Amino acid sequence: MALTFLVLPVVAVFARVPPGDLVSALGTEAAKDALVVTAKTNLISMALILAFGTPAAYWIATRDTRLRDAVVTLVELPLVLPPAVAGIGLLAAFGRLGLLGGTIEALGIDIAFTQTAVVLAVTFVASPFYVRTAVAAFESVDPTLPAAARTLGAGPARVFARVALPLAAGGLGAGAALAFARGIGEFGATIMFAGSLEGRTQTLSLAIYEQFDLDFDVALAISAVLVAVSGTVLLSVKLLTRWRSGSTTPIPFAPSTRTSS
Amino acid sequence: MRHRLAPLVLALVVIAFAASAASAPAAAPPLTIYAAASLTEVFKALDPAESYNFGGSNALETQIRNGAPADVFASAAPLNTQRLFKAGIVDKPVTFTANRLALIVPKSNPAGIRSIYDLRSKPVKLVVAAPAVPVGGYTLTVLRKMGLSGVLGKVVSRESDVKAVAGKVALGQADAGFVYVTDARPVSDHVTVVRIPAWAQPRVRYEIAVVSQSPNKAAAQAWIRMVLSAKGQAALRNAGFLPVPKSST
Repeated sequence: MALTFLVLPVVAVFARVPPGDLVSALGTEAAKDALVVTAKTNLISMALILAFGTPAAYWIATRDTRLRDAVVTLVELPLVLPPAVAGIGLLAAFGRLGLLGGTIEALGIDIAFTQTAVVLAVTFVASPFYVRTAVAAFESVDPTLPAAARTLGAGPARVFARVALPLAAGGLGAGAALAFARGIGEFGATIMFAGSLEGRTQTLSLAIYEQFDLDFDVALAISAVLVAVSGTVLLSVKLLTRWRSGSTTPIPFAPSTRTSS
Repeated sequence: MRHRLAPLVLALVVIAFAASAASAPAAAPPLTIYAAASLTEVFKALDPAESYNFGGSNALETQIRNGAPADVFASAAPLNTQRLFKAGIVDKPVTFTANRLALIVPKSNPAGIRSIYDLRSKPVKLVVAAPAVPVGGYTLTVLRKMGLSGVLGKVVSRESDVKAVAGKVALGQADAGFVYVTDARPVSDHVTVVRIPAWAQPRVRYEIAVVSQSPNKAAAQAWIRMVLSAKGQAALRNAGFLPVPKSST
């Protein structure tokens, strides 16, 4: 009953236009450009989120509880922030007249209306999804395993790379998938902070917004792509979480067998 | 099973509707007026009692075409009202005001723009409205008349309405943007106006029409008469709009 209400708009995206027309609408220049911009900016964002978010999450997960709770709350803030507020915040911080705007411009870095701005917006709104899931994943690693590795003479870096990381991999993957899904759907902060220019800063969500009153079929086609991607992401999160719950039981010593090979 | 679902989904929609209706005042329902973003300040000052939806005229046209519950549609270009008129969605539109374009730059003027022609020679982050938005179309006309269509290569963002263009410039995020002269006024603390010569000005005509399906047709027609009256025209002129030229009445 309530399910029908939730499912109907998703089905309607596919029902209103025949599949053949959806494919041809996707072939339009606007749709292709948006796909490229979204793929490029989101891959860069994901690389940044993984590179900086993983050590940060591990650091948070291994701190004592009071400090950890405070840091986690800070990290989670962008998660609950309305996108419009995120856009205003990014402008106030990194805009040309913002807090760091002058410094950044002095360094010769151009952010306004560039793909860098899109990457910043996506990273800002998407990273909490990864970090909070990653913290939980690192926390669910059986603490006796890293401890055992330490007694066997492994340094902290080695314990992180060879024990904690492989054991938390399922959770990290799930977090990355969630962050990716949020990132490709980013709209509010991007349109406020990066503007909208086809082939440069116009992502799929922004293209839907522009095409909505130009060519509704193209808007539907792009929406259908995003529905498909979101569905795939959701499915992989489910699979990864199942794998994680299997990998955190204390029995398997999978990392050590990998080390010896 | 299937026949039991439909009423429940409908119930959800009805509850959502009732919730939104409950918040509206009961006496003398205000008109719902869909108007071009450039009319934001002047319409609100002229009649604060109505409920407004301001935006790009093209987006408003699409919303009305898709059944949005508007009583009146005021567009910044005849194209949008005329298309709805031909489709039988609005009654016959009338021209009610006119406007001119201007280039605005932030007060700090980081790109050093003093004339329109500076757009050609200097590196500049130029913001315009999307071509389907009336002011975006007018911008293309100005640039074509001035032989400056090449500066479109310096466009960094195509915004969905004129207020978004004005905002990006007022914020200092963009170096320059094309807006109506009337949009420069509300942000005059933050921007400097660079004039566009009269010979390069496009014919900017605003049209207004009653939505044919409106349940408040008499009130909507009265409201349009008020805009066309001496009081309405004075308010528009004070905001910087131009009187309707004799030729297009």
